[in-house]
Amino acid sequence: MGGSSCFHVDGMMLLKQLEVILERDTLINEIGFVHPSQLATLDRSPDATHYDETAFWNKDHKLAISTEILQHLYRAVMQEYMNVKKRLEGLIKQSIGKYSSDSPTFGSDSDHLLESEILKHTMALLILNSDFGSAWNSRKMVIVRKAQLSLLMDELHLCTLILSYSPKSQCTWSHRRWVIEIIGEKFQIMHEIVGQDSELVKQIAEKSKMNYRAWSHLCWLIPYMKGTQVIDELNKSKKWSELHIADNCCFHFRRRLLFKMLEDISAREDDESCINQKIEVYFLWKEELEWNESLISRYIGREALWLHRRFLSQCYINYFTIDHETCNSNGEDFHGIHSTLDDFLDKELELLLHSLDVTDNEFEDTQVQAQHATSYIIWISKQVPPHKHEKLQSRLQEMDLKPIMIKLCADKPHLCVSPLLQDYNSNV
Amino acid sequence: MKITALLVLKSDSSSSGDSIVLANATDVSHFGYFQRGAAREFILFVGRTVAKRTPPGQRQSVQHEEYKVHSYNRNGLCALAFMDDHYPVRSAFSLLNTVLDEYQKAFGETWRAVQTDSSQPWPYLNEALTKFQDPAEADKLLRIQRDLDETKIILHKTIDSVLARGEKLDSLVEKSSDLSAASQMFYKQAKKTNQCCTIL
Repeated sequence: MGGSSCFHVDGMMLLKQLEVILERDTLINEIGFVHPSQLATLDRSPDATHYDETAFWNKDHKLAISTEILQHLYRAVMQEYMNVKKRLEGLIKQSIGKYSSDSPTFGSDSDHLLESEILKHTMALLILNSDFGSAWNSRKMVIVRKAQLSLLMDELHLCTLILSYSPKSQCTWSHRRWVIEIIGEKFQIMHEIVGQDSELVKQIAEKSKMNYRAWSHLCWLIPYMKGTQVIDELNKSKKWSELHIADNCCFHFRRRLLFKMLEDISAREDDESCINQKIEVYFLWKEELEWNESLISRYIGREALWLHRRFLSQCYINYFTIDHETCNSNGEDFHGIHSTLDDFLDKELELLLHSLDVTDNEFEDTQVQAQHATSYIIWISKQVPPHKHEKLQSRLQEMDLKPIMIKLCADKPHLCVSPLLQDYNSNV
Repeated sequence: MKITALLVLKSDSSSSGDSIVLANATDVSHFGYFQRGAAREFILFVGRTVAKRTPPGQRQSVQHEEYKVHSYNRNGLCALAFMDDHYPVRSAFSLLNTVLDEYQKAFGETWRAVQTDSSQPWPYLNEALTKFQDPAEADKLLRIQRDLDETKIILHKTIDSVLARGEKLDSLVEKSSDLSAASQMFYKQAKKTNQCCTIL
């Protein structure tokens, strides 16, 4: 903060101005804390009569707050919040004593006034410091008593606003989930909420990379998704992950969606519609595997892609492959949605062979690719029944890949000791 | 995967001073509303700094924080791309190659006479900025050009390693006419608080 500003700054007055701005412009969608020199360059807003222009700027539903006044503002709002919080706690104690009920209701006008004071001050406070848990809790205490849809939607809007400039604020995300839970219990609009939040997460993820909190919010919403919404989300997130192949979060979201589909069909009885659904999921899985393979060959040496493939392969082996020797005898009809494990392994070995080519290693990425491929195959060997293990080994021997693979994982002792590579050593 | 900016600059031996911007397509929509101005200025500043230090015939990639600046100077005409770390390097350079081809197709050798920054719009560059956000598109170029250029690409881990001996980024920031007072303040603040400066 500038040491030269020796004039007295009236924090309370600034707080009033901020609260007036927030009240007048309820559609504010972005807030920035900017240096005073930048604030001076922003073109003048017609609304500027309501506030100090050296402290705030509000136009086109954007709000800028000068970094110079933050400490004064924060002190003032803390003081106000502590006052109303004490009064609220007193009121709660009093009403519990009176009605001996654990969900007290406030009747009088002064109580309503106190509630709106709380909402007003905590809003300003949380805009300045979104990780203030007590302030979020005070809001919850007020809101849980009213449970009006409009109030709940206002909460979602406040969360969206704060997330626009601090996209990884855990308290804000968790408050959002708390609000959505209440909405889910009382109102039948979860379909819209899911759609809206999926949009929000994608917007936020575009601005802040590797935002685990945003994506895990979307994962949290999956149980609320109904029927076609899961497929919709899968389709929508496909292009996004294609353009953000280093971001494991979006792939993780896809894994959760895919897994939900698998779980849904496994839980159901074997009737006609279920078989159709099974066929649908099977083709979806094949498509995802092919898509993943094309990404692997386009983006060389990307770990997130190989990790995604592990998930796909593991589920594919468990749900969609049959072992020739054990299953052929009982002659069951698998509705054409199973392939043999041998075919699958052959395809994966082909991918390995393709990925081990390190001739053009100008950017060191092909080397990384070969390493990922090697550890992937070793991982696969753990997922198949033991008698397949030998087969896999002899195939590697045929293709003469083992020496290369051993060289590739020389610096990874836990891979070197894999039986898949070990036996070769003892054979020579 | 993100291309933030594509630039074409004049950077030959005749211009002893700074490189001259011939065309500039920038997309700062993924920055916060109040950071966009500073982002645009820094792109111009870093672009000029790197282009000036890419001699004719050279291709180089400069890593800065999570960004990469790819630069290719062909006979004094220099194409630059600001991308994130994940855009495949081969595709990036085939894109720069194409940008230079297209520029010469559209403007010929007129750029040699240019003495000041050009603000004349060049629609192709903006279209390219949108189209090639998906590296799959640049991949198609790569297939056609595969054996066109075998010049080695020089990789720099920091922007400081591009600078000549004795040059300092801080003093370049201070001297630059591309940066406003607010942006310079932003740079200093980011450096002081040791935050990840996501723009420069």
